[in-house]
Amino acid sequence: MTAIDTSIGPDRARELFRAELADVRTDAELQALRTRWVGRKGSWVAAFMEALATATPEQKKTFGRGANELKKEVEATIAEREAALAAARRPAHAVDITLPGRTPALGHRHPLSLIRDEVGAIFTRLGYQVLEGPEIEDDYHNFEALNMPEEHPARDMQDTLYLATPTFASADASVGRPRGKAPWPPQPLTLLRTHTSAMQIRHMEQNAPPVRLVAIGPVYRKDNLDLTHTPMFHQVEGLVVGKGVTLADLKGTLAAMAEALFGAGTGVRFRPSFFPYTEPSAEVDIQCIKCKGAGCAMCKRTGWIEILGSGMVHPAVFEAVGYDPNEITGFAFGMGVERVALLKWGVEDIRLFYENDLRFLEQFGL
Amino acid sequence: MKVLLSWIREFVDVPESAEDIGTLMSVRGLALEGLEPHGDDIVMDFDVTANRPDCLSVIGIAREIATAYNRPLNVPEGRDFSPAGSDHAIAITIEAPELCGRYAGAVADVKVGPSPEWMQSRLTACGIRPISNIVDITNYVLLELGQPMHAFDLHQLGGRAIVVRRAKPGESIKTLDGKLRTLTPDMLVIADASRAQAIGGVMGGAHSEVTTGTKRIVFEAAYFKPSSVRATSKALGLKTDASTRFERGMDVTAPARAMARACQLLEQIGAGQAAGTIHDVYPAPQSAAPIVLERTRVPGLLGMDVPDANVERILRSLGFDVQSASAEASTSAEASADRSAGHAGWNITAPAWRVDIKRQVDLIEEVGRHHGFEHLPSTFPGVQQAPASSDPRIARDRRVRTALLGMGYSEAITFAFIEAAAAEPFLGGDAPVALANPLSEKFAVMRPSLLPGLIDAVSHNRRHGRRDVQLFEIGTRFSPRGETRGAGFAWTGLATADHWSGARREIDFFDVKGVVEQLAAVSLVSLTFGEADVPYLVKGRAATMTVNGQHIGVFGLLDSAVGDRRDLPSGDEVYVAEFNLDALIAAAPADTLRATSLPRYPWVVRDVSILVDDALSAEAVRGTIRSAAPSTLIEVREFDRYQGKGVPDGKVSLSFRLTFQSPERTLNDEEVQVGMQHIIDALTRDLQAIQR
Repeated sequence: MTAIDTSIGPDRARELFRAELADVRTDAELQALRTRWVGRKGSWVAAFMEALATATPEQKKTFGRGANELKKEVEATIAEREAALAAARRPAHAVDITLPGRTPALGHRHPLSLIRDEVGAIFTRLGYQVLEGPEIEDDYHNFEALNMPEEHPARDMQDTLYLATPTFASADASVGRPRGKAPWPPQPLTLLRTHTSAMQIRHMEQNAPPVRLVAIGPVYRKDNLDLTHTPMFHQVEGLVVGKGVTLADLKGTLAAMAEALFGAGTGVRFRPSFFPYTEPSAEVDIQCIKCKGAGCAMCKRTGWIEILGSGMVHPAVFEAVGYDPNEITGFAFGMGVERVALLKWGVEDIRLFYENDLRFLEQFGL
Repeated sequence: MKVLLSWIREFVDVPESAEDIGTLMSVRGLALEGLEPHGDDIVMDFDVTANRPDCLSVIGIAREIATAYNRPLNVPEGRDFSPAGSDHAIAITIEAPELCGRYAGAVADVKVGPSPEWMQSRLTACGIRPISNIVDITNYVLLELGQPMHAFDLHQLGGRAIVVRRAKPGESIKTLDGKLRTLTPDMLVIADASRAQAIGGVMGGAHSEVTTGTKRIVFEAAYFKPSSVRATSKALGLKTDASTRFERGMDVTAPARAMARACQLLEQIGAGQAAGTIHDVYPAPQSAAPIVLERTRVPGLLGMDVPDANVERILRSLGFDVQSASAEASTSAEASADRSAGHAGWNITAPAWRVDIKRQVDLIEEVGRHHGFEHLPSTFPGVQQAPASSDPRIARDRRVRTALLGMGYSEAITFAFIEAAAAEPFLGGDAPVALANPLSEKFAVMRPSLLPGLIDAVSHNRRHGRRDVQLFEIGTRFSPRGETRGAGFAWTGLATADHWSGARREIDFFDVKGVVEQLAAVSLVSLTFGEADVPYLVKGRAATMTVNGQHIGVFGLLDSAVGDRRDLPSGDEVYVAEFNLDALIAAAPADTLRATSLPRYPWVVRDVSILVDDALSAEAVRGTIRSAAPSTLIEVREFDRYQGKGVPDGKVSLSFRLTFQSPERTLNDEEVQVGMQHIIDALTRDLQAIQR
């Protein structure tokens, strides 16, 4: 620290002050600086004032103004810095706001439940009712009414899980005799439903057209666990019946669903296929959500990914539930919830949905 | 179905690449599964749907391609072969015409050896192993025309006779795969005069197998009843190229064509010569009835217009007979309205190979798919009435789900079938709902409770290093009485999240009780608790929940033996709870909620501390307080419970905070004091309480 020496002149002293101020970090340092520069005794400014007293009139003129300016600057700058330091000082009650907060417990939704709700919401918006139905079914509702009589080869397409002992707790018992060809009294329940289509039949048996519903829930097939199969999975089934319902209506509806689920501009493609309960039948592809149709490994370079089966309700199904196929038409579709979740979130192993590992579940929101 | 591109091109002129053909056919109903080079040829693998057995053949696929590309289908020269020569009579008798609609046979003199290289190559490409020239011919015809064939060594057929009959009880046959199979009378056999020589439509017998020594054969081409072949194949566990086709339904007119082609190939490759005419037994010839295709129905079902010319072209190209129908022939109202157009539709007769065509909609599908689904506009079904309401369970489940999520539980979804041993403690005296054909022992019975699945999920998370686990599931439980919807949850670890400020505490019974009370509150019911005695909960730390006497569920500390069996780390305390949501909703009041006005007068609070016997339940003390209190007592809350210094053994110090309030006036000190004295007197008198 330079000793006080007025001979260097006020201008040089001001530079010295500025340099010293720049090094000040704390309140204490600032007070020391103030004492050293503007203290009543032994400070730079005091020294200049003393020197001024003995100066020649000629010196007083220039030297005096310089000394006064120095004093003003020192006082003003120190006050400014003092205010700045005060503003930066943490109040006594301050906490370290960077410490972690106390997190209130909050659970995470299961991804399949999220898709189930999202699809339910899409179709509710489109004016559908959302239904759930029994998971244990009789042969009639799961197969026969859906145009799959005993010995129909299409039964092989869906390996069925059967109960060791049939039960008789049929849902029909509480709602009364169904319309159409359903056996009465109800058949014993013998199997785990292989598709939510069984629910369509139960609904139509109890309600006259028009119909506009989605049925959502678990279904069961004798599939071994692997990357893309589980013996239990979830299905969304849609059914619309009324006068003049067409395949083009199905296309519009599924295109709207695809855009709502996978983003605007997601195209759909219908490929003719076969299901016993629809005619015509179509498998529906969406434009690959990864490559947008350009072709990649995910879509096997086709640009398309299959997401569901659909078609116009077969007249035999209408006949089974007592609807007149000459009066009404209808469309139906069935989509795997797991498949949508796999595609939407890029999940690579379907088994993750059933392990309930919190490290997986916590990746999904509320 | 694997076919060679060169083979298809024998029937239809498609210079387009295999990729292009595959792309187009995939949107015309024949999905291409794969492409594979085979020398300078290409194997195209098409996924043929179960309703189209006619496409399990080169000609069937070629016909679809010809229609898709609008090109003619050519049947090469020389296929209308009719064998000549000395007649070696063979007596064919169909004794079971209900199972065999047609049976054609032809005798041929043969020289057994390998088939030519080109034939072997084609078979191999299509996934069939070459065996000998005779067997290869039958397989070649199978692939080309779709008609399964068989060849018998004539010298092994006793009595030079073929008898198509049902198997005799206990009759057995050694099939070509070397296995001895026992048959039943619902199975069809091709027999000679004395014994079964083949299982009709499924597999030939070893006894009359064509061998290198065979000199004379009988070719077989027949029509077997689909359901019978299917049942036989299933019963014997024997699936063959033939049975796959017969069980889906074959062309009843094909046997004669197939036989001609086989005889022609026999001569062409120098493997022999047909000896005589083809014996074709067809006891009840069938002819298809025409189906009316109403013109208005095409756009009515598809929602797109298809020009008449295109309707006719598509159907004719697929082999249908198409005749314009006069307006009068049609009966429907829509068709009548169309009479002014002078053209109501068509009378269509399906070719015999199209066993899937039964009704008008089947024809509309043919028209629609070949016109192209890509031309479908995107429209929406009209609404004729207000949408009906959704299943009320969905909103109810959502309410419970939201509450549980808000209390920190993550949602689990577990398999509804579980191990029998895992289900056992939860059966509550019911028989398990077991599966007849479970995938494995792990999935043997339907869950009687959501808890086994949740316990497994907790166990999984604990074993993967997770200390605090809170999981719930909403799902179906199964019993012989039917299905019920439940909500279950499981909780282990800390009650409060770990934090730098300290204050950590393991969960206990009352954390879980608080959660079940909240769930009851959001469902607008209040629970009554009783001591639970169930095999999976620790007695003394388990409670039943009832609403108006109706059992709603249980909760408590999981028995460690149950946890151990599910590989839960030992020493883990897991609390579980399960509600019957159906019973809960039934117990909830109907939607008659009326809000009450807020009180206008202040409340008065008084505390009381007493010493009572520590065996006395809080419920009993509360009950005594309530019964002695004036009607202005609105709340009783335990705020302290203390045992230890200053409290004699066997006693407990309980502190209650009592709130008094009147909806009509401000209470004065004096009347509250009187009320308090009544309460203290009752506690002293009835419970021998000592006021502290």
